[in-house]
Amino acid sequence: MSGDYWQIFLTFGFFIILTFVCGLYCMLVSRNIIRAIIGLELLIKAVTLLMILVGYVSGRTSVTQAMVITIIVIEVVVAVVAGGIALRSFRYNDNLDIRGLKRLKG
Amino acid sequence: MLSLLILVPLIGIVILNLSARAPARRLAFWFALLIFISQILLAACRHPVLWNVEMKQIDTFFKVSLSMDQISFIMLLCIGIVSIASLLVARHTIYDEKELFKFVNLLIITSIGMNGIVLVKDIFTLYIFLEITALASFVLIALEKDRNAIEGSFKYLILSAIATIMLLTSIALLFMVSGSTSFEAIRQALNLANNNIILFAIGLFVCGLAIKGGLVPFHAWVPDAYSSAPAAVSVLLGGIVTKTVGIYTLIRLLIAVFGFDPSLKTILLALGALSIVFGALAAIGQNDMKRMLAYSSISQVGYIILGFGCGTFLGIAGAIFHIFNHSIFKSLLFVNSAAVETRLGTTDMNKMGGLSSKMPITGTTSVIGMLSAAGVPPLAGFWSKLMIIVALWQSGSKTYSFIAIMASVITLAYLLIMQRKVFFGKLSIENENIDEARIGISTASIMLAVIIIGSGVFFPLVFNKFIAPIQELIIR
Repeated sequence: MSGDYWQIFLTFGFFIILTFVCGLYCMLVSRNIIRAIIGLELLIKAVTLLMILVGYVSGRTSVTQAMVITIIVIEVVVAVVAGGIALRSFRYNDNLDIRGLKRLKG
Repeated sequence: MLSLLILVPLIGIVILNLSARAPARRLAFWFALLIFISQILLAACRHPVLWNVEMKQIDTFFKVSLSMDQISFIMLLCIGIVSIASLLVARHTIYDEKELFKFVNLLIITSIGMNGIVLVKDIFTLYIFLEITALASFVLIALEKDRNAIEGSFKYLILSAIATIMLLTSIALLFMVSGSTSFEAIRQALNLANNNIILFAIGLFVCGLAIKGGLVPFHAWVPDAYSSAPAAVSVLLGGIVTKTVGIYTLIRLLIAVFGFDPSLKTILLALGALSIVFGALAAIGQNDMKRMLAYSSISQVGYIILGFGCGTFLGIAGAIFHIFNHSIFKSLLFVNSAAVETRLGTTDMNKMGGLSSKMPITGTTSVIGMLSAAGVPPLAGFWSKLMIIVALWQSGSKTYSFIAIMASVITLAYLLIMQRKVFFGKLSIENENIDEARIGISTASIMLAVIIIGSGVFFPLVFNKFIAPIQELIIR
């Protein structure tokens, strides 16, 4: 393993873990629906970065390129649907507090 | 031929939406009915001449490699039947024509996603179809913009997205190990290498699918999403969506890719037993009809996983047959709850009682569905439970087979509570003037009840035609 290769691997690994921890922290700590969605997006970004790294390591960058673009498209659709639900929830509750979503129990 | 199951509905939706005027909207319902009926006929007759038609030009254009085997036939059949039931219910529960048009479009997209899941042989394409199905279901749950439905949909969205992240991480790791995403290549690579990364990837994948399938430690979204969704969507979700997305995918991947590991078997058996007992006990305490059915769904999924966890032919065959039975009787019970909901305007069981005298068809069919769910011979549910319990006993997990039998008694108990509160007993004065459900809903419930009785009474025929061919997949 050459030094250059190892350095790219480490840099990518560091940022993947950083993004993942940020996303997880964001989802666990904040009580705002929009922030929860942003945390989710951060987590997906971390996985997308992992996909790029995997493509680099296994030497199949062209396949992973296609995969990463597909993941980005799907993730945008998820974000749009989540945003729509958040908007509707805001209209019912007049705030974006996630604690407003506890009508269903049992 | 296989790609047509995905392409025809897709092109149909595009054409219908080009001019979303009133005639096109009316046409959409019949188009969907036609698609699902032809899917059922194709899957039920299974003539090789039909399935092996080659379409060079379409196949070169649509470069997703698909394949078909015995389990896929059963799943395609279930998808067709449950979609028709859901469509018929929607016609009488969604009154606005524009809303019905939206529902039909989303239903077709969900069925495209599920057909894709059933047919793919590539792990990344599987992820795409999983997301298509999941996204259409989020929107379907929130279709009526009801306050509770928004909450249920949001919970499902967040948990499903976390499951997706787990699956994607696992896909990335498996891609790194094998250098390809097809099932066959990953299986060969896993046979050669065996290290902690692979174990981690498999664990993540199983956890992600357990969230999507609603197994017990990961079940929190199931009752909320099912009970808050519109009636027709509950039929679809409870009947087939979570079973295809979570349970079928798990079965397919373990058979075709990961293989049975003894430790994985232990985990599956424990998850299954936990789901059965927890789901059944939680269902006893419910006052809402749809919520009780949702917990019952968790419990029945436990049976499927328990049978599958044996790893023997009989266990897997029982699990597949129980998926079929569950999709039929659970959608029948949800159709009945939809019938009651349209007439009474509520799903609270304390406000019901004695409805059997006013709604004879709904009452009778719900008794059939309930007996099948509880495993009373000669209905179809009995045979699959019998297969699962015998398989557990044969493979040496006698404790688990004991748990399965005992939980069957609890199943009967909560379903009897539901019957007594809703259909038997004394009719209250407010409900004096209700009628039988509309013709479409009655047709759906009669159709499903006939399937339950038919596949139970003619079980040897069903076993030889549909279940026994699974054997060649497992012994490899």
